Amino acid sequence: MTVKRTIDPFTVEVIKRALISAAEQMFVAFGRTSKSSVIYEVLDYGCAVTDANARMIAQANGIPPFIGVLTDAVKEVLYKFGLDGIGEGDVVILNDPYMGGATHQNDVVLVMPVFYEGHPIMFAASKGHWNDIGGKDPGSWSPDATEIYQEGLQFPAVKLFENGKEIQGIVDILTRNIRIPEMILGDMRAQAASLQVAANRITQICDKYGLDTVLESIEIYLEQGKQEALEELKGLPKGEFTAQEYIDDDGLGGDPVLVKVKVTITDDEFIVDYTGTGKTCRGPINAPLSALISTAKFAYKAVVSPHGSSNEGLFAPLKVIVPEDTVFNPKRPAPISTYWESDSYAGDVVWKALADVISERITAGHFLSVCGTTVSGIDDQSGEWFFSVEPNAGGWGAGKGKDGESGLVCSGDGETYVLSIEVAETRYPFIVDQFALNIVDGGHGQWRGGYGLVKDYRITNSKAFVTASFGRNKFPPWGLADGMLGTPNAVEVRTADGNVEQRGRFSKEELMAGDVVRFITGMGGGYGDPMKRDPQAVLDDVLDGYITPEIARKVYGVAVVGDPAGIDEAETRRLRE
Amino acid sequence: MAKRVAIDIGGTFTDFVGLDEATGEVSLEKALTTPVNFAEGVIHTIRKSGVDPREIRQFVHGTTVVINALTERKGAKTALITTQGFRDVLEIQRANRTDMYNLFYQKPKPFVPRRFRFEVRERLDYKGEVLQPLTEEDVVVAVEACKRAGVEAIGVCYIHAYSNHAHEQRTREIIEELYPEASVTLSHEITQEWREYERTNTTVLNAYVQPAAELYLSTLDEELSKMGASGTKYAMQSNGGTTTFAQAQRVPIHLVESGPVGGVIGASVVAEAVGEKNVISFDMGGTTAKVSLIDQGRLKINTDYYLEKTSIWAGYPVKIAVLDIAEVGAGGGSIAWIDQGGALNVGPRSSGADPGPACYNLGGTEPTVTDANLLTGRLSPDYFLGGQMKLSVDRAERAVRKIAEAFELPILEAALGIIRLANANMQAALERVSIERGYDPREFALVASGGAGALHGATLARDLHMRKVIVPRAPGHFSAWGMLMTNLRHDFIRTRLMPCNPSTLPEIAAAFSELEEEARGTFRQESFPLDRVWVERFLDLRYKGQEHTVRTPVHEDVLENKHQFGRLIEKFHELHEQAYSFRQDDPVEIVNFHVVGWGEVDKPAFKPLEEEGRSLDRASKGERPVHFQDVGTVDSKVYERNLLPPHVVIDGPAVVEEPACTTIVCPGQQVTVDRFGNLVITEVSK
Repeated sequence: MTVKRTIDPFTVEVIKRALISAAEQMFVAFGRTSKSSVIYEVLDYGCAVTDANARMIAQANGIPPFIGVLTDAVKEVLYKFGLDGIGEGDVVILNDPYMGGATHQNDVVLVMPVFYEGHPIMFAASKGHWNDIGGKDPGSWSPDATEIYQEGLQFPAVKLFENGKEIQGIVDILTRNIRIPEMILGDMRAQAASLQVAANRITQICDKYGLDTVLESIEIYLEQGKQEALEELKGLPKGEFTAQEYIDDDGLGGDPVLVKVKVTITDDEFIVDYTGTGKTCRGPINAPLSALISTAKFAYKAVVSPHGSSNEGLFAPLKVIVPEDTVFNPKRPAPISTYWESDSYAGDVVWKALADVISERITAGHFLSVCGTTVSGIDDQSGEWFFSVEPNAGGWGAGKGKDGESGLVCSGDGETYVLSIEVAETRYPFIVDQFALNIVDGGHGQWRGGYGLVKDYRITNSKAFVTASFGRNKFPPWGLADGMLGTPNAVEVRTADGNVEQRGRFSKEELMAGDVVRFITGMGGGYGDPMKRDPQAVLDDVLDGYITPEIARKVYGVAVVGDPAGIDEAETRRLRE
Repeated sequence: MAKRVAIDIGGTFTDFVGLDEATGEVSLEKALTTPVNFAEGVIHTIRKSGVDPREIRQFVHGTTVVINALTERKGAKTALITTQGFRDVLEIQRANRTDMYNLFYQKPKPFVPRRFRFEVRERLDYKGEVLQPLTEEDVVVAVEACKRAGVEAIGVCYIHAYSNHAHEQRTREIIEELYPEASVTLSHEITQEWREYERTNTTVLNAYVQPAAELYLSTLDEELSKMGASGTKYAMQSNGGTTTFAQAQRVPIHLVESGPVGGVIGASVVAEAVGEKNVISFDMGGTTAKVSLIDQGRLKINTDYYLEKTSIWAGYPVKIAVLDIAEVGAGGGSIAWIDQGGALNVGPRSSGADPGPACYNLGGTEPTVTDANLLTGRLSPDYFLGGQMKLSVDRAERAVRKIAEAFELPILEAALGIIRLANANMQAALERVSIERGYDPREFALVASGGAGALHGATLARDLHMRKVIVPRAPGHFSAWGMLMTNLRHDFIRTRLMPCNPSTLPEIAAAFSELEEEARGTFRQESFPLDRVWVERFLDLRYKGQEHTVRTPVHEDVLENKHQFGRLIEKFHELHEQAYSFRQDDPVEIVNFHVVGWGEVDKPAFKPLEEEGRSLDRASKGERPVHFQDVGTVDSKVYERNLLPPHVVIDGPAVVEEPACTTIVCPGQQVTVDRFGNLVITEVSK
């Protein structure tokens, strides 16, 4: 037993910040040294520091659904090797989606113990999207996979480095089984080196303050995180809250898939129970359990403490229940590589269940899908392959006191930028005819939903292929407190000879020069009765061309007349009676 | 008796520095800023200084007029004319969710509402070829609508206009014909880098501030002339150079960070004078601390500036050259507070100038960094602003007691805690500009300036193992002083994607000479003698297929001799490796051409510190207890800086006071006065 010392709160705070900066510097170092744009531009990666018991101390994320996922990976490492079985300079690789800490195989986790004076005291871990990990299709994830073996290599927590040295056997296996080994191995080494950046920082902190002080400070601030969460829980309504939604199909065109949740809030617990959610799907939209749990953590954090510190203490009150053999806890060897198509619903239903009672933090439903697209082909000019891969932004739901945001990436994306048109046209053989708000009739409310987008790519190459997966094509975003539904997402192929086909998903659809593919994202749901919307806001919406005078009259009960346009007060009163 | 004068308007004070060109004598003045009428404040400060306006040969001005118009949303009623299909670009932005856990996130609201965003039929491709000619009737319709709505400023930004200016130029002609009262900004005159949202937003912001900036600068010009100051008048730009008032009125957006750059330039000038190549400028004032890294004497510029961006808000991109400055909400007035989890925080909220820290005794009750500095003995209650203002220890204690009681700690410990947390925030900013970009702070010296910089500099340098701290003379006026040492500067950046190899050399040389001509044209417009103009050339290079670029200097011989071309590529590899830790064999690609045009201004030589009248004895003001972390309370010698002779060496702990600033030297450090009067703090080798 160490003698209990009291540490002054400033030391605790300074150590906390230093450990957070260890995670952040690891994040910066990985981004800075990676050769893949999916890492340094899309920020599809996360870094964390945990203690020796796999409790999260600090985390830096590029996208929110990675919150808290790495602690499960550290637990797997501890379970498999034990604290004694892993030495200084060892790095473990893990991406098996049916193990803790994993998402799809592309997201590869590396875990390294941090030693101080000969003892393991913490872990540094990171998860990064590798551009290829083998499997049936280039890029590894595939919208039509039927079993996990098609989706790339699986590493079930094995050592990649031992005593600071790469294990040649693993590197050889990677080299033979992945498509662009040179680039990927470069990224792998950058990822491993970034773990060392965190380890060095942690060593410095221990040198400066002493190990005991550091460890005790961690206990104190994890407790602070928990207190912060409990304090926030006090302000939330208690009870059971339920919601359900449907996913368009099972990924291969089958029936809609039910997603159900029951959220129970007590004084010290926040229980998310997905019992009743549909069975494991045939197609690759299944969400591995670890991915599901971190999305539940994200949903919880958004409700409880969007700006609070991300450490184990914050998540102490959260419990997640997911029955086996469901789309949220699938059975091996079900495919999972496009897991985000279901995973995002895990957050959506939690928010839907609580939206009526926690209106100050939750907005109405949003367009939800990543709306990922790939436009590819062999460039007529250069003779080389081109790939334009991007997420699409859409409309967000309105909240109490605010209209929804227009053209914002979905909840599964974070500091994620949409592609610039000028950059895209320089790189790829298409012309963008419009990149505009998708002004449609929907999402009305006292506060209205935000608008989705419409973007037209006119192909200038002799031939190109489009793959696109737009969820929420059949079931639009939900409204809140008498607010109206949003509108669905869709992809439209408009051929040069005048054919138009609209669907939610296209797989390697062939296009010719002059054909247009139109990406359409929906509006978010509205909040409150449209008849209560401030008439001035309705007039502004007419002046800005968001709604027509007819909609103003019919839906909002506001008579907009004249030029310059103004409100006919008497008529408005009559309409609203 | 020709004089050179700089006036820097800050949030709290307006600083004046005058320099006698013949003797090198410097005069200082400070007056409260007058937000209602800045021009009046400038005139008042000159009067207060006692300088004869007719002697002012050169006047340099750091102004907040542009940043204020933007942050207070007090600019002109502005419209946008753009390509059909793209008027919503300003609202869509890049669609990122910076505050990713917050469902109530609100995107930045465009400066131009949708009703004033007009589309016209026209289209260029990225090479500048016309896909659809400009439909002039559409422009006419848009301009008529602007006129009817009483729009004051119009921004014009067409897709790919950086590669062909004709449509924008023709649009201006139409606007000038139909609505000459409107001020017009064409995107290609502000920025020629690709990315439509960033370009459009930059164009719109320039249009938005132009009427206000024009009015301010012309009024000031008139007022100065009226009082007899007929010398050349320059405005300080964000790129670290100056420009004439006339040019500033055309592109006022370049003044957006007019104030903060002075300190960085000052740091580079001091560094050069004392033979330091690598320094980090650290300027800590009342509300924020600003840090900027100077590598091998070179100021770092970037074009990724954002207005109002925070860790949880996307802000507004402004694609102009701005000195690379990291700012953190830690200043003397930053307030200490306890959050819901029970943890202590310092800043970013500040007590400002009014009511100010509790110890000012002007009604402030929240504990601030200044209060903590007073209680730990770092500041003297009797010598603030040279004694003009008495600080109240009692008030400071009362404020800090809130923190002390919450944690059941002695007041002194709580005060030290506040200082340590403020230091932790500033250390993070220093790490951001150094470690996170591949620089090792141990190879740098810290130049500490601003009212509070020298109170914290020695501790920060120690924690980061930096080589030394330099506290320049008059650190409280350092930003204005830096402005006096500045050359004219104009940046010309243009996106042109092409391979970078010896076979494209003729095109590269041609593109550069086009930009250089543009640069000389601007100086000609300013009536600046061309024999004092020189240019620097840079290329933003990347490996083919990569996204991030590295700004690489291009020497003249590379352009003249293709056998030298390898040097350019090697330089790129080297810089890429420093920034991103690896190099590749892949082909290299040009993204942007960048020409910096410099107009050389005469600068006075540094004046050595005179020994006469100065001695350690005369400077000595006795001792006072100062509380240090890990060491506890130590009696520390106190000196009056203005009486310290050159070359004197003092062991820490020590306090060196001057009217607008106090320097703290920690135990185990020593401070020397160099021949120019800078204080230089180093660790005593063990």
